[in-house]
Amino acid sequence: MFKLSARRRARTEAAAVITLAATFAVPFVTSSPLVFSILNQILIAIPAAFSVFIMLRMNLLTFAVPAFMAIGGYSVAIAAANGITDAIALAVLSFAIPAAVAAPLGAMVLRLKGVYFVLVTFVLTEITQLTLFEMPWLTGGSNGLVAIPPTTLLGTSLSSNRAVLLLATALSLVAALIAVSLTRRFREHFDAIGENALLAQSLGLIVWRYKALGFVVAAGLSGIAGYSLVNMLLTAHPSSFSPISSVNYIAYAIVGGSGSIIGPIVGSAVLVWAANLFNNHGEYSPGLFGLLITLFVLVGKDGIIGILSRLASAPLASDASSPGRHSKAAAVS
Amino acid sequence: MLKVDNLHVRYGGIGALRDVSLNVAVGETVLLIGANGAGKSSLINAIIGLVPTSGGTIRFNERELVPISCAERARSGIGYSPEGRCVFPSMSVTDNVLCGAFGRGRKRQLQALDWLKSIFPLLADRAGQPAGQLSGGEQQIVALARAMCSLPTLLLLDEPFLGLAPIWISRISNAIRELQRRGTTILMTEQMARPALKLANRGYIMRSGEIRRAGTAVEIRDLALAEEYL
Repeated sequence: MFKLSARRRARTEAAAVITLAATFAVPFVTSSPLVFSILNQILIAIPAAFSVFIMLRMNLLTFAVPAFMAIGGYSVAIAAANGITDAIALAVLSFAIPAAVAAPLGAMVLRLKGVYFVLVTFVLTEITQLTLFEMPWLTGGSNGLVAIPPTTLLGTSLSSNRAVLLLATALSLVAALIAVSLTRRFREHFDAIGENALLAQSLGLIVWRYKALGFVVAAGLSGIAGYSLVNMLLTAHPSSFSPISSVNYIAYAIVGGSGSIIGPIVGSAVLVWAANLFNNHGEYSPGLFGLLITLFVLVGKDGIIGILSRLASAPLASDASSPGRHSKAAAVS
Repeated sequence: MLKVDNLHVRYGGIGALRDVSLNVAVGETVLLIGANGAGKSSLINAIIGLVPTSGGTIRFNERELVPISCAERARSGIGYSPEGRCVFPSMSVTDNVLCGAFGRGRKRQLQALDWLKSIFPLLADRAGQPAGQLSGGEQQIVALARAMCSLPTLLLLDEPFLGLAPIWISRISNAIRELQRRGTTILMTEQMARPALKLANRGYIMRSGEIRRAGTAVEIRDLALAEEYL
């Protein structure tokens, strides 16, 4: 995985937050339903991709994002159906409940490494699906929970298309701030675990503690994505959280670039937009989408941000032929 | 400071260490020499907690280490520089060194870093460079500095000269002497016994997972010469 220099890292973190903050302006400059629809999908995908991003920082590939999205989404739907419709309360709930569920789960699954961890997180998503279908008294079973009351803020209903988009933007921004805070505060810890967990342990790092922290926060971010999705659809249905959708969230993080916080935003934007574009080609759509992901992975294993970073570093790298510039060039690569 | 008694380590059905006992006093530098597979690294790894023991005790400053985790052992004042350097390749030199003092607080980490930069100027010259881009000798300096960053009372060095050119062996030796002058207690393993014995007060010769001989550096040099370790 590529690593940015400290200065570039700070710039990309600022760019991620500014990009999402700037999205607040979109509903005021256009009312195109297509733009609203695609942007909503992107903004739902971003917190989910952040969830994958945090786990990848520790070299853990998780397929559990849809499971925690479902827990967050259904929690919000149940709360709204029971009269709690305040946006802030629901946002807190959508983060806290998946995080609380993840804490004891993490104690079990984080003992596993590599392919075993991947398999268990996938099974976790399958079990969540089964639970959604088999507990109709709570989840509505195969019908899901429908006609969920719209979210409110200070007593005002957020049911218009513009309000839904603004809420999705706010939730994405909150998710970005959480992801930036976490990965900035514990950058060395996560990097060390990602590169060599055993070595990190021998240097005094209590590895399980940081893995658990990452897992819990990642679950909370997935829950926020679940809230955003349920708020857009005003329905919580098992099919919205299918296990196979976890592949998309992983693709968003990897194609965008898992070495930088802005990678999941870029990956989500590019792939959601491309998926919508390919939808015009009917049965060829999944094939074209798969081809695009394959192309990105073959051309740039560090994702779009990795490619852009290398291009931006190229002039400095060529300067490195002069002896005095060696360390500077290497520092930015 | 460190007392190992009747230690046993097994990898599956194979005994890597058998009934190993040694002690290291405050301020000493003790050398473990032996051929490949003698059990030197297994002993160091057992002390830091990277491999489980199957019998015996390890006491550090009167505290039994066997029941406590690897990370807790490091936090109790043991610095560790593993065999083959093992830097975090894509992390910067500065970040690598700071990783040596996890959980000690940012202020103490940065104070230790400043001190280490005064001993190893390389750390300042290459501060932002990914450690994986350094030469083997430079990486060894980073690994040594990282092990020192927590200001440990006991430093475990596993083959610090492995695969290094003579110029780097000399530089690393000077760095170890500097640490000795500052009162650091060191337990090191080395196949290249000749340069390592110049640094040691005492030594042990290991073979087939057992300690065969013990003595002062001079005695060990003579024994090692007789047994063709040098």
